[in-house]
Amino acid sequence: MSAAAPAPAPAPTGAPASPAAASAEPGRLARIFLPNRAVDRATAIGLVALWTAAAFIVWLVSPWESLPGPGEVWRAFGALWWEGGMGPEMFTTLKLITHALFLTIVISMALSYLTVVAFFRPLVSAVSKLRFLGLTGLVFPFTLLTGGGYALKVSMLTFGMTTFFVTAMAEVVMSIPREQFDHMRVLGAGEVRIFWEVVVRGTLDRALDITRQNLAIGWAMITMVEGISRAEGGIGALILNQNKHFHLAEVYAVLIAILVVGLLLDYLMGLVVRVLCPYVSLDLVAR
Amino acid sequence: MTTGGPPTPPSPPSPPSPFLTVAAAAAAAAPAPAPGGEDVLLDVRDVWQKLGGNQILEGVTLQVKDRVRPGLVTGQVVALLGPSGVGKTRLIRLISGLDRPDRGNICGVRACALPAGSVGVVFQSYPLLRHHTVLGNMMVAGIANGLPREEAKTKAEMLLKRFGLDQRADFFPAKISGGQRQRVAIAQQLMRQKQLLLMDEPFSGLDPAALDDVIKLLIEVAHMDELNTIVVVTHDIRSALIASDTVFMLGRERAADGRVTSGARIKHQYDLVAKGLAWRPGIEREPEFRELETEVKEHFRSL
Repeated sequence: MSAAAPAPAPAPTGAPASPAAASAEPGRLARIFLPNRAVDRATAIGLVALWTAAAFIVWLVSPWESLPGPGEVWRAFGALWWEGGMGPEMFTTLKLITHALFLTIVISMALSYLTVVAFFRPLVSAVSKLRFLGLTGLVFPFTLLTGGGYALKVSMLTFGMTTFFVTAMAEVVMSIPREQFDHMRVLGAGEVRIFWEVVVRGTLDRALDITRQNLAIGWAMITMVEGISRAEGGIGALILNQNKHFHLAEVYAVLIAILVVGLLLDYLMGLVVRVLCPYVSLDLVAR
Repeated sequence: MTTGGPPTPPSPPSPPSPFLTVAAAAAAAAPAPAPGGEDVLLDVRDVWQKLGGNQILEGVTLQVKDRVRPGLVTGQVVALLGPSGVGKTRLIRLISGLDRPDRGNICGVRACALPAGSVGVVFQSYPLLRHHTVLGNMMVAGIANGLPREEAKTKAEMLLKRFGLDQRADFFPAKISGGQRQRVAIAQQLMRQKQLLLMDEPFSGLDPAALDDVIKLLIEVAHMDELNTIVVVTHDIRSALIASDTVFMLGRERAADGRVTSGARIKHQYDLVAKGLAWRPGIEREPEFRELETEVKEHFRSL
């Protein structure tokens, strides 16, 4: 036995199997309107471009006076960037989210990994339940605990993200199939090695994906948290100041900046996942 | 073996395995086969196991003894047949040391109460670490068994070549076929010499050509060392009869209305060596084989 199996020949993508199959296969245009159909990359990019253009046109011709036009928003962005200190405010916000995210990862991963020990499971479960508390009511006790300012914002953001992170990550750890542990045991691995290979390294891609989701959650919470204490500034404080003076174009300019930076952070996190866990994309292909 | 074949003289010392560096040392440390080849390699004695209030196993008793052929290294391939849900996988977990029986003993060549890690197990789904390449998975198995990294790598590469997987060494498990996963899973178990290898449903979902390959592989691995024993847990009667030298059938007692009235125990046992139906290529074409297959199928229906 044991002759090497021939490498599977790559399936010709998009090539019809037979003339009959070709005639039954819907065309590219038809496919984009049919349910459960895959489209090629060029078509997918074309669809994104189409929807983006449509959204931009709707914005251009919008009859709503409360929605400033693109030119107005662009000019407001320029003014905020060059004169309103948007760059330094964005840096302040990025520093805050990075600090909070780092603390969230350390606390949440430690708590999630502790679920392999029965003694700690109630504690982890309790932390997870705290996500229903909401942040508003916690401002006062957290101010007393931290003394306010930057420390208050970091602790609020960390608390908010940790409760969601722990919920998702503990679920990932608890749902590792028993077979994975058994497999390592019959190979002769000790419990520490099993923990490292199965729990830590085996769930790394999902841990990074949860980090990515929590970064988005934290980014969405940032304006609220920065609004609690505006002394250090930040993009949240900037938008609240513009809100107060009813500078609509400036508000939209900041909102778009928040969206673009958020998408950029999300893209970077996706890149990290692809670099550190190249097998993830293979799993997707295999499915 | 268990029902006794013709008396045979003691076997000569086994030649060193061509690809298991630890094998020779382990074989040398093992007790020499007694005259007549009656060494017990696996002894399952009156094993009981309850699960969720149900008696799954009820006094399972079986023995696997060393098969001896003069001038030939002869391992053992034992099939454990039984219908789905009868408790075959449960028995595998007990033999492999992953679980402990409520009652009874399971002994190997050297000791009773085999600890997890001392018995090789190839699970049905061939679980591999998805974050390691094929070579990485092999090395994890070696390092877990105390091999230094370099030695683990050398041995892993040797085994992968032997199993025809050297071209797949850098592939992640998601990129190899089911048959290749199975071979990696078996090769992983050979990173450390373990004389007892349990395989859970190795024949399921295979096409006829792949099935032949797996049967050949099992026989080849078994005959790598005199004391090697492969226990194949399956409900594929034909493949089990082709591959093995002994067949045990695990079943439960039933009332007249078909209701199960007991936990599982060994209900039938076949010594294929004594019947002259082992170790012969193309045995499945013999009329005696077909008769036996029919008989086993008849018994299987009542399990």
